[in-house]
Amino acid sequence: MANSRYDLVVIGSGPGGYVAAIRARQLEMRVAVVECDRPGGVCLNWGCIPSKALLNSAETIESIRGAAQEHGIEVGEIRVDFPRVIARSRDAAEKLSRGVRYLFKKNHVDLYEARGELTGPHSVALKPAPDKPAPEVSMLEAEKILLATGSGERLFAGMQIGDGVMTSHEALIHDRIPKSIAVIGAGAVGLEFAYFYRAFGVEVTVIELEKQMLPGFDAEVAEELRRAFVKRGVKVMLGHGYKSMEKRGAQWSIALDAGGQPAAVEAEAVLVAVGRAPLSAALGLERAGVEIGRGGFITIDDSFRTSAPSIYAIGDVARTPLLAHKASAEGVAAVEIMAGIREPGFDLLSIAGCIYCEPEVATVGLTEAQARERGIDVKVGKIPFRAIGKAVAVNQTEGFVKLVASRQYSEVLGCQIIGHRATDMISEVVLGRALETTTAEIGKTPHPHPTLSEAIMEAALAAEDEAINY
Amino acid sequence: MSSEITMPKLSDTMEEGKIIHWLKHPGDSIRHGDAIAEVETDKADMVLESFDEGVLEEIRLPEGQSAPVGAVIAIMRKPGDQPGAAPNAAHEPEEPATAIPTAREPEEPVTAIPTAREPEEPMTAIPTAREHPAAAENGEHGNGLAAPPQFHPAMSANPSAAPTAIPMPPARVVHPEAQAPAPRQIESGEAAKLKASPLARRAAEEAGIDLSTVRGTGPDGRVTKRDIDNFLREQQMFRFRRLIAPHEGAPGSRETLSAMRKTIAHRMALSKREIPHFYVTVEIDMEEAVRFKNSLEATELFDEDVSYNDIIIKATALALSRFTRMNAAFENDGISIYPHINIGVAVAVEDGLIVPVIHECERKSLPDIARHAHRLVAKAAQGGFTAEELSGGTFTISNMGMLGIEHFSAVIVPGQAAILAVSAIKDRPLVRNGQIVIGKTMMVTVSCDHRVIDGVVAGRFLQEIKRFLENPASLLIG
Repeated sequence: MANSRYDLVVIGSGPGGYVAAIRARQLEMRVAVVECDRPGGVCLNWGCIPSKALLNSAETIESIRGAAQEHGIEVGEIRVDFPRVIARSRDAAEKLSRGVRYLFKKNHVDLYEARGELTGPHSVALKPAPDKPAPEVSMLEAEKILLATGSGERLFAGMQIGDGVMTSHEALIHDRIPKSIAVIGAGAVGLEFAYFYRAFGVEVTVIELEKQMLPGFDAEVAEELRRAFVKRGVKVMLGHGYKSMEKRGAQWSIALDAGGQPAAVEAEAVLVAVGRAPLSAALGLERAGVEIGRGGFITIDDSFRTSAPSIYAIGDVARTPLLAHKASAEGVAAVEIMAGIREPGFDLLSIAGCIYCEPEVATVGLTEAQARERGIDVKVGKIPFRAIGKAVAVNQTEGFVKLVASRQYSEVLGCQIIGHRATDMISEVVLGRALETTTAEIGKTPHPHPTLSEAIMEAALAAEDEAINY
Repeated sequence: MSSEITMPKLSDTMEEGKIIHWLKHPGDSIRHGDAIAEVETDKADMVLESFDEGVLEEIRLPEGQSAPVGAVIAIMRKPGDQPGAAPNAAHEPEEPATAIPTAREPEEPVTAIPTAREPEEPMTAIPTAREHPAAAENGEHGNGLAAPPQFHPAMSANPSAAPTAIPMPPARVVHPEAQAPAPRQIESGEAAKLKASPLARRAAEEAGIDLSTVRGTGPDGRVTKRDIDNFLREQQMFRFRRLIAPHEGAPGSRETLSAMRKTIAHRMALSKREIPHFYVTVEIDMEEAVRFKNSLEATELFDEDVSYNDIIIKATALALSRFTRMNAAFENDGISIYPHINIGVAVAVEDGLIVPVIHECERKSLPDIARHAHRLVAKAAQGGFTAEELSGGTFTISNMGMLGIEHFSAVIVPGQAAILAVSAIKDRPLVRNGQIVIGKTMMVTVSCDHRVIDGVVAGRFLQEIKRFLENPASLLIG
């Protein structure tokens, strides 16, 4: 069988891989992408995009209910065709996956639908992928190789998927509404699905080992979100560690440990959302001399280079945070560093994290606690949305904006937003960080009125003790 | 994951470093920018600064011991990692540490202007006759240059060596005490359009840095906070402890060599072993040069006071441009003539000396040279040399005039073909128009590499210097 030679072979076509491949083409490299599933990776097919379609359905039904309760708009009985909710989400994923194929074609990126395995520092063997025809080419030769294989759902030992036990992957295509569901893990994925199911009237229990929802996030944000969930009728069990589960009749019974005290939760379905793990196994890493570090992540330097000088790695398979936009930005950076047009280094602190339940959560940079841990003298501006005219007008007064700045230079160290459309607002602060703005520029920039983003301006002013509206 | 802290390469001549003190100990947490250890290098004592965060897990190189550049000196654990994790064995070890120099004795005086009345004290600054009228009349004219008691031009870097690991922005010394913090930039007009992030502006304002002197590395040369941080680090990169009192050991004691002394020993021995030295001396009548210098001061033609040393540098540069073999190196059985005239000026510091370099003297007027020389001398006292200012020399001048020296000769810096030893201007009997008169003369001796230079060339070169110094008006034109 024929061999093919490339400047760059990218393994994985998720938001890291496909973006890197297109950027490499723009820099006139000959590029191939190897993908064993559908182009677009988890993000487009099994993550961001389909889940946001589902959450949009959830928000819609919440607003219809709100219409009846708060707007004086009479609504009849609300009936849900749940299979259509799921189908709409699959449509969105399908459309975008086709879009990635189109982008490859347009940019002359060769797509090989196979499982790629390293056989040396410059060679990738193509193995048949499940449900796909055997590849016509058996081996790709490459000057450089970029590993962008992403991550997969993590399970605790002894957990078995099926019979009502799901990860986000199964939940995205599970077209029956359970009566009750236990969500194990109060991270971003767990909370988005908890919100989604609750919106469709499911009895939801969220179980979390840590003492707060969204471990690692700002404690005030986590507490505000917990209250919003409880208000919506979600049962939140913090400080409860998972021990085991067994099926009793139609119900799953989950045994928990609350600091030595046993506890139990019964539910018809279980969603396991205890994190994701890098997909670094079965890639032939040893043969190519690529080392793996803690947690299975591929070890990289600040040029995204692995321990094999011709092999690079980006995205979830290389390091946290496991976020699509981080993978894309890293993909572009890695390719530009390879081409010699960019300095090594990447500012992970300017990567925003977003959670798309209601209220939304969006954060960037350091929290107040993290900044203090680093010994930085900080000042904090915090503005609740109820102080913002637009929020009152559109009846979205949940949440607040918290801006963390250094006292020395007023450097914007971080921002945490919880509230309606928080994820659309955070980019202002991300750009601000990229441009090294201080709270002075954000506070003195006239923000349009009435908008929710005025809260960011007011928070910047509050950090300087100059807030006008609060 | 743990990472290795390695001995960084801090100058082009550095081969090893010695830990003076560990400032952090195993179990201490380390933040970005924290000082981890004091390291002695061949050029200066530096503080090893962390680029990373974590916890110091293990010290591999004990205090007082040396290790070559690149050797692992400590292990740092990243935040949140478990103790005892294996060190990061990536093929390209991260460089979690950099270094900034430290003043081991911060109480040391850093004022720059010593007086000519204390000739026993080696000096690095240039006094003027106006400030010290006594010096002009007491028969022993200081040449104006502070000179070391002995000359070991070892610290001058080989011009052919690779550039140092230290980034080189077009640095300019900032005297924080002399420069009141500039008022906050007005956020309109051209000043506001100077490309710099708001954060960089604030940091620069606080540090008293003129933003236009900072090289920006952001998009389109935008100055970012990192550039300010690098600039400040650069400013402190080479801080030498200036020689205040001669460093002498107690009788019967044995001294371990400092890194600087080791380098001096190595390079001077190399020079005398490899280079066949010969020496040529000439006596120069300095009557006109003294008058010239006094009249420059009287007319205040230049902003900068011109010292004898500046005048000698200018005369030497002019002579070098005519006798290019003197500005050369013997390399690989060939003679390379340097494209530029970069004159190193030896300056004494504690336990050794350094040779800051005035680059491209062929393009510099006398006031230009004076300005550069004064700046370098101030830096020898206050710190802030850039790597470039300590490397690239093609010819060296050692001036011991301040010590009233009659005559001496110097050891050639490896990589150069000659060195000029300048002694004191003294009142000596002189024959003028058949009469014995008391005149002011100065001995200069050039040491030459005989593989490059023959006696005739050396003699003509000295005659050229003599001609310029005895007719100093020519120095204003060249």
